[in-house]
Amino acid sequence: MGKTMIQKLFAAHTKQGALGAPGAPVDPGDIIWLDLDVRTARDFGGANVVQNYCEHYGDTPVADPARTFFTFDLVVPPSNIPYANNQQICREWARTQGIKVYDVNAGIGSHVAIEEGLVRPGDTFVGTDSHLNILGAIGAFGQGMGDQDIAFAFKTGRTWFEVPPTMKVVLHGIPRKPCTARDLTLAILQRLGSDGALGRAIEFYGAAIEALDLAGRITLASQVTEMGGIIGFPISQTAHPPLNPALLPDPDADYIETLDLDVSNLEPLIACPPNPANVHPVREIAGKRIDSVFLGSCTNGRFEDFAAVAEIVKGQRIAAHVMATVVPATRRVYAQMLTSGVLETLFDAGFIVSNPGCGGCASGHLGMTGKGEVQISTSNRNFPGKQGAGQTHLASPVTAAWSALAGEITMPEVKV
Amino acid sequence: MKTRLTGRVWKYGDDVNTDVIFPGKYTYSIADPREMALHALEDLDPGFVAAVRPGDIIVAGKNWGCGSSREQAVVCLKEAGVGAIVARSFARIYFRNAINQALPIVTCDAVDGVENGDEITIDFAAGTVKTPRRVFTFPPLPAEVLEIIEDGGLIPHVRKQLGR
Repeated sequence: MGKTMIQKLFAAHTKQGALGAPGAPVDPGDIIWLDLDVRTARDFGGANVVQNYCEHYGDTPVADPARTFFTFDLVVPPSNIPYANNQQICREWARTQGIKVYDVNAGIGSHVAIEEGLVRPGDTFVGTDSHLNILGAIGAFGQGMGDQDIAFAFKTGRTWFEVPPTMKVVLHGIPRKPCTARDLTLAILQRLGSDGALGRAIEFYGAAIEALDLAGRITLASQVTEMGGIIGFPISQTAHPPLNPALLPDPDADYIETLDLDVSNLEPLIACPPNPANVHPVREIAGKRIDSVFLGSCTNGRFEDFAAVAEIVKGQRIAAHVMATVVPATRRVYAQMLTSGVLETLFDAGFIVSNPGCGGCASGHLGMTGKGEVQISTSNRNFPGKQGAGQTHLASPVTAAWSALAGEITMPEVKV
Repeated sequence: MKTRLTGRVWKYGDDVNTDVIFPGKYTYSIADPREMALHALEDLDPGFVAAVRPGDIIVAGKNWGCGSSREQAVVCLKEAGVGAIVARSFARIYFRNAINQALPIVTCDAVDGVENGDEITIDFAAGTVKTPRRVFTFPPLPAEVLEIIEDGGLIPHVRKQLGR
């Protein structure tokens, strides 16, 4: 029997096979000690990791400082003293351990890791960010974990993990504009629901997957958490950077389920409160007045996302009653926006353009919503309290741009 | 881990996410588990903290603990006295956080046969959850995972394995 991508990737990262059975094959359900190429903590959970580490391992060194990083991205720069204190705890401890810190100016850790080459296709990577499975977008294994797990990973360079079964999602057809990678992702989420991939790895196939650029693959991979999944790999022959050829799934690999989805007639979709799987066609709630717009997050914070928005709003002003925030994923994205003129276009249209990071995607930092506030957002979750006290609706940057202009949830059009 | 646990039921629905188990706004400012316990389930069931008793059991629907990776969402319940969580299914990060913290978790459909305040008994060895109306069965956890829980969590488990 052939192997799926996650089986091959895990087999390449465990020296002893299944726990207690050296050399045993890596099959779904096996619990293995997984060797980690990279382990990280962000400002969220980072201080807890340090506390946990010091409590259990004292002042002993981490396994390998060159493969251990802090990436501050959640509350950057800190908005109050407790946040600042926690970041300083991480900084000072990192100094004593010789660990590099991507500080409050860097941007979202998972994106920085891809841009800076901290992680390559086929690697294993853990941290305190529950959307680290974004790294599936480049064919790497990424996983968010709790602080005890991460302290352990810092110390030992490994973690225990149950090999997940793999499901196959095969897309048929290619969606037409104004649909984007986000609408494609929402369609899959609608079909799978919040737990349709619970505990599973996913391999995505089809012409629509081949057509995605890195930004689009990041959008899709980031939402696998919202489907309950462990990680999702868009299987694309045209991906750049290319997938690790040694880890491509075998044609006769064993899948727990295959899901076929026709996306050729896809229409713009939106996830309404109270959860990301509550997906509806945009047309069903078009006309609902909005108070605010958030563009960014690890799901849709790439240059391509903001360039698409700029194309729509160029030369226009967003509705007078709407407060709209743009948060680039990283410094590099910010730089691209600067040099391309996208930043100026968004600024002129009335957007607040903030420094890189997670922005409004975490209750506690800029762009939070108040009680009764209706928001359209490109972020990854709309659980009650996640982005404040308001009602967050999740949609593509394109739908959000049209809605910002109109001041209400709006069906996007194809600009001629 | 005790082989049997009898406790009072707190019943909840599907997709209970970690933001309502332990609100994000406290994740930075609270590091003391006892203080975490004071905010457990604050946005889902404001009466929980005042009324929970040691050994009580949470019984819920599918996908318990979805969302953020925060370990506080396990710690706050454990510290509040929750003896076990029984759910139709668990989100995976929550699942491993619970194991690492040695909070027993049981995957079965007991939510179909309980009401709030019922007394139920989990028999970990037999793999049964006995409610006033029905007996539900569950597959035992993998041996390696059970060992982690029995040793008191990930850190004590690895210490024991390393012989120190």
